[in-house]
Amino acid sequence: MAPWMSSGLIYASGLAMTAGSITLLYIVTRTFNFAVASMATIGFIVVYTGVSLYGGLPYQYYPFVLIIGAITGVICYYGLNRPLLYRKAAETTLMMSTLGYDLILLSLIQMYSDYLTYTFKLFPRRVTMSVFDFELYGESAATFILPITAIACLTILHFFLTKTKFGIAMRATIENPTLAGASGINSDRVYLVSWIISGSMAALGGSFMAMAMTGTPVMGMVTIPLMFAGAILGGLGNIYGGILGGMVIGLTEYAGVYFLAKQFGPWILGYRMGIPLFIMAATLLVFPRGLSGIPLGKIIKNLFGQKRGASA
Amino acid sequence: MITNESPGGKIKGLFSNRIVFVLAVILAFLAFLYFSRGISIILTILIQVTIFSIITMSLNLESGYAGIPQFGRVAAVIAGAFAVGAIPGRIMAAFMGLPAGAEYASDTVNFKLVPEINALLASSWLVSLGFLIMCLVLAALSGALIGWLISRPAIRLKEGYLGISMLAIGDFFMWVGHNWNIIVGGSTPVNVPDPFRVFGTDRFTVIVPVFFVIAILIFIYLNKLTQSPFGRNLRMLRDNDLSANAAGLNIVKVRTQALVIGAAIAAIGGGLYVIYTGSVAAIGLTRLTFTFWPWAYMMLGGIGSNIGVFLGVFLLTILRTMIIIFRSTWFGFLLQVGIDPLWLEYTLLGAVIIIVILFMPHGLVPEKIAPMLPSKRIKKVLADRQAVSK
Repeated sequence: MAPWMSSGLIYASGLAMTAGSITLLYIVTRTFNFAVASMATIGFIVVYTGVSLYGGLPYQYYPFVLIIGAITGVICYYGLNRPLLYRKAAETTLMMSTLGYDLILLSLIQMYSDYLTYTFKLFPRRVTMSVFDFELYGESAATFILPITAIACLTILHFFLTKTKFGIAMRATIENPTLAGASGINSDRVYLVSWIISGSMAALGGSFMAMAMTGTPVMGMVTIPLMFAGAILGGLGNIYGGILGGMVIGLTEYAGVYFLAKQFGPWILGYRMGIPLFIMAATLLVFPRGLSGIPLGKIIKNLFGQKRGASA
Repeated sequence: MITNESPGGKIKGLFSNRIVFVLAVILAFLAFLYFSRGISIILTILIQVTIFSIITMSLNLESGYAGIPQFGRVAAVIAGAFAVGAIPGRIMAAFMGLPAGAEYASDTVNFKLVPEINALLASSWLVSLGFLIMCLVLAALSGALIGWLISRPAIRLKEGYLGISMLAIGDFFMWVGHNWNIIVGGSTPVNVPDPFRVFGTDRFTVIVPVFFVIAILIFIYLNKLTQSPFGRNLRMLRDNDLSANAAGLNIVKVRTQALVIGAAIAAIGGGLYVIYTGSVAAIGLTRLTFTFWPWAYMMLGGIGSNIGVFLGVFLLTILRTMIIIFRSTWFGFLLQVGIDPLWLEYTLLGAVIIIVILFMPHGLVPEKIAPMLPSKRIKKVLADRQAVSK
């Protein structure tokens, strides 16, 4: 595999997790979660701390990443999001509140990085996480492990949402909060669980992305427009759409930069952020409701003739 | 509804107790800083306050009055900063027979060119004034252009989508400026000719009143604008766009106008900022400084209130500056474990946003809808009508 392919795949699976986290939270609580930026960075910082202080592989620290991401989500829910949701705050207010939380997390991350440098002589401001990886079939192991982990997480999430009682209750709340409340579903618990899931997804996504890009304390802050682009490309209506959108954004960024730089020269590398944004704008022009708005079922039906429910 | 408010009552309402209290706090802080650090820090604070008041007032027009979630304020600021960094210097260079093309922004040429232009500007205050006005006009025009361009695809999007698209566009502009050397030198900052060079060492002392006058002119303009029928249209759009549409308001047109005016004003703020700092570094025009801080200022001051915005900018700028000045004396315990207290600036920003949202959602000075006309005049109009109908 070409280097751009493997790192693109790693990066895209990270972006897919973060975009999925944004989408999940948006459909449940109407909150555009800016704090995903710092949650992603926390994922990277946790793995980096573990690997450089205690050794081993980056992958064995992923459970800690999940737990700490979930904790940041819970704190945000109880401290900030819950009072605002009960106050029926406007979408912009919800968005700004997560921005405030994000900035506080960012300052804590920066202070922690300073502390790491001072106490343990580590330097978390320019980290290449891939040096901690091992090789598998001539590729870095992350190329295989991370997309598989992403798919596994997605499958677990899918089964959670479709097969468990609580997952079904959660989907009911997403579909119609009033009706779900009337039939006895505790919306408070649904919100809490969605914050836990989305916090851990965001942190895990950040630790994935660090395997493909330079890890810095402002890593999430720099890439947050792309995470949002992924979520918007997915249509913000459906978690799978968000994950797919993040995947598309990440892959087009790497593939686009590679092929355009080959064609026009390396100056194009500086504008790499423009490529996914262009893809997002172009997609939204054709499908205003994002990828999940594409009437796939209809297209397939038209292609293969009417099979079900066909009445002459 | 006609309120029986006398003109005296209106003035009393304008300087209500809360405003007086905040002003007293600000003055106390300023006095403390003056006696501990001298006049130069006061001048720096005042310059920053004027620049950020302009930017925040423009944000207030778009987000506070029109209800557009403007998370890409930095885009218009960048437009103004790039226009001032790229165009007026080139015009001057072309007049003086110096290289004015793509090589103007090159780091090997620019640092020789700008002192020559500065020498010309320093020779006469009339040329300097003309240069300053040219800078401001160019900044406003490019800001308006960028505002219009951004509004085209974005205007039909809904709340969150619109905010996020603008955020992405603002970031993209920053990267364009950072990578395209021709505009403002890319990763090497371009110097800006200094129209305040005439005043020599008094430069900062002169900048303060000049910037203040510009800020006050913009303040008066925005106050007039928001009390005009246009301003009421904006508020109607913000409070209920459906009924605004039903009342025959062209939503897209009004929103576009708000975005263009706001972008032009923010671009003036960006232009003033680069004139003050004397150079344009694209990488320094971040969304943190020029989008998120203005949002915090606006939310603290009170969304939809220009006086409040001014107070919010003043208060937070002082707090920011105090963190920077006293970081080693007040936060020495952090330095002992190797932590730079400068990060507390982010904590302050985040904490202000959260506290304002949770505990005082209307800010320091809540929005107050003034009657369109003084009550005396309304009564007179009504009396005249009755007289006619009789």
